[in-house]
Amino acid sequence: MASIRLRNIVKTFGGPNVISNLSLDIDDREFVVFVGPSGCGKSTLLRIIAGLEPVTEGDVFIGEQRVNTLPAARRNIAMVFQDYALYPHMTVYGNMAFALELRGLSKAEIDTRVRRAATMLDIEPYLDRRPKALSGGQRQRVAMGRAIVRDPQAFLFDEPLSNLDARLRGQVRAEIKALSQQLKTTMIFVTHDQVEAMTMADRIVVLHAGVIQQYDTPEQVYEKPANQFVAGFIGSPTMNFLPVRLQGDSVVLAGDGRALSLGDEHRGRLRSAGGEATLGVRPEHLVLCNPGDGIAASIKLVEPLGSDTMVHFDLAGTAAIARVDPATKPKVGETIALRMAPSRVHMFDVKSGQVLA
Amino acid sequence: MASLSRAASAQVIADDAPRLNPHSFQLAALSAPAVLFTFAMIAFPFCYAIWLGFHSFSATGHSRFVGLDNYRKLIGDIEFWNGLYVTFALYFLGLALQIAGGIYLAILLFNAKRLSGFMRSLFISPILLPSAVAGMMWIIILDPSIGLANYLLSLVGLPPSEWIASPVWVIPTIALIDTWHWTPYVALIVLGGLQSLPQNVFEAAQIDGASPARTFWRITLPLLLPTIVTATVLRSVDLLRFFDIIYIMTQGGPGNASNTLNVYGFKIGFEYFNIGYASALMLTLSTIVLGVVLTLNRLRKAVAW
Repeated sequence: MASIRLRNIVKTFGGPNVISNLSLDIDDREFVVFVGPSGCGKSTLLRIIAGLEPVTEGDVFIGEQRVNTLPAARRNIAMVFQDYALYPHMTVYGNMAFALELRGLSKAEIDTRVRRAATMLDIEPYLDRRPKALSGGQRQRVAMGRAIVRDPQAFLFDEPLSNLDARLRGQVRAEIKALSQQLKTTMIFVTHDQVEAMTMADRIVVLHAGVIQQYDTPEQVYEKPANQFVAGFIGSPTMNFLPVRLQGDSVVLAGDGRALSLGDEHRGRLRSAGGEATLGVRPEHLVLCNPGDGIAASIKLVEPLGSDTMVHFDLAGTAAIARVDPATKPKVGETIALRMAPSRVHMFDVKSGQVLA
Repeated sequence: MASLSRAASAQVIADDAPRLNPHSFQLAALSAPAVLFTFAMIAFPFCYAIWLGFHSFSATGHSRFVGLDNYRKLIGDIEFWNGLYVTFALYFLGLALQIAGGIYLAILLFNAKRLSGFMRSLFISPILLPSAVAGMMWIIILDPSIGLANYLLSLVGLPPSEWIASPVWVIPTIALIDTWHWTPYVALIVLGGLQSLPQNVFEAAQIDGASPARTFWRITLPLLLPTIVTATVLRSVDLLRFFDIIYIMTQGGPGNASNTLNVYGFKIGFEYFNIGYASALMLTLSTIVLGVVLTLNRLRKAVAW
């Protein structure tokens, strides 16, 4: 078990920087999720920590040791790959025992460790099978078992759930979370799925273009996004973004000049930003109200999800979504009135996308 | 009632009977050239060779059915057993050198960071030479008096060798020449196998703490085994039928030291015109080749992952 520190990491593959001057502290026994769109550098960052990619600049520390030049084998970390990377010619037992054999452990010790991990992951009946005779979920468990038997300082997961179907993904996600609580070891999990990030992480690193956009708890990332990118990336359906401006003392929609009742705090933010901003509000924070108490909108599409109903409409020329109670039975073409609680509204700078404090 | 039932069954059978597809004639006409070609090039010569193997031919060309006499004669023919020994000695030596060398060369080419295209072209160039040209070239190189080989030996203080003129050295020398000629072919096959291996398995081995040597023996080689067996099958067929370079360089000599079954069969058939006996010998060799290939195919299934 160990903390992991990254200092001023720069990584380039010859072209533009994939990671730009990135620093990060991961505490001992913490479960941190790297999340971001494809190409944001999250897997590269993980591979740098694993020792599979050298850094162009900067320092990597595992515990108190600087590991820049330490080969992957001597970092005492375990990694679960996206497509599991099991040794196809070895049995499940062989896959799990391989690293222990290389360490020169006795056969009895190897057997104890492999069987303990197999029992923990419920893969004992498959120990004599080869990977090709296993389902995706079973292979995933074997990959985790191979990591667990090594008793590493940290576990690194590189999108390990992306090859599983939706039902299995949810199940394995819960198992990994439970495992992290059981093993109490530092874990870094890479995903592009914000649901995985929100449900598993102690802290989330939101990455975009090789730069950390926000590093905080899931609640903070969701409730107080640092910028428009984070606000748009975390949350499903995505946050609604509406251009607004200050007109006299009122905050109005830039598209059609309709006034929004948002209070002094937001007016002040808008004023400090030069009178223009992007308003962000999550679909669940757009609430149906009586006509005249909110902004009117005509429903263009209704998506009933069972527990909620998504209502699509245009607000001043911008597409928006509200999450409403299915009991309201909204219909396409119907005009509804919506209001937003000022405390649930975010204001972002039009140019930089940073949240307006 | 019973007759009704029988009539119904007859109707069902009539309905199920294969009907002539209106395109059947066209399909038959279109596939006929391929069928005829296969028959003319494979089935007919093979069947004819079997027929020849059961016959003896007089000088006037008249044939006589002799049953298994030609095969019985093989058992007592010392030249046949010598040919079998030479064939297998050359096979095992050549195969071991070519497979080991091919794997080594493939790994070198796979890891070549600079001029990889040029290196590949350079190393595979021996395959491009026709066997006749390669044989003539090596005759000159191995010439005991003017050849480069003995000159190189003299540079390192070793005595000159008789190479293909020596009954002891002729098999190793020919095996080395064939290795020079065909190792790049094995390397190309193994290189294809290496390039198709899942790379993250090697990263997993790296993280598991495997040294490069351990990675090779425990991961790379087992994963390459199906490809290596494929290369072994291809080289086995060629090595067991070894003919061209031997015929150009030694004609089976000195004495009968390089007289493989193929060369011996050729001599019997086309120099002594004992066609029936030569056919029996060639069918025996074909059976041996087939047996080796079938055994290796079973091995390929056993090492598949």
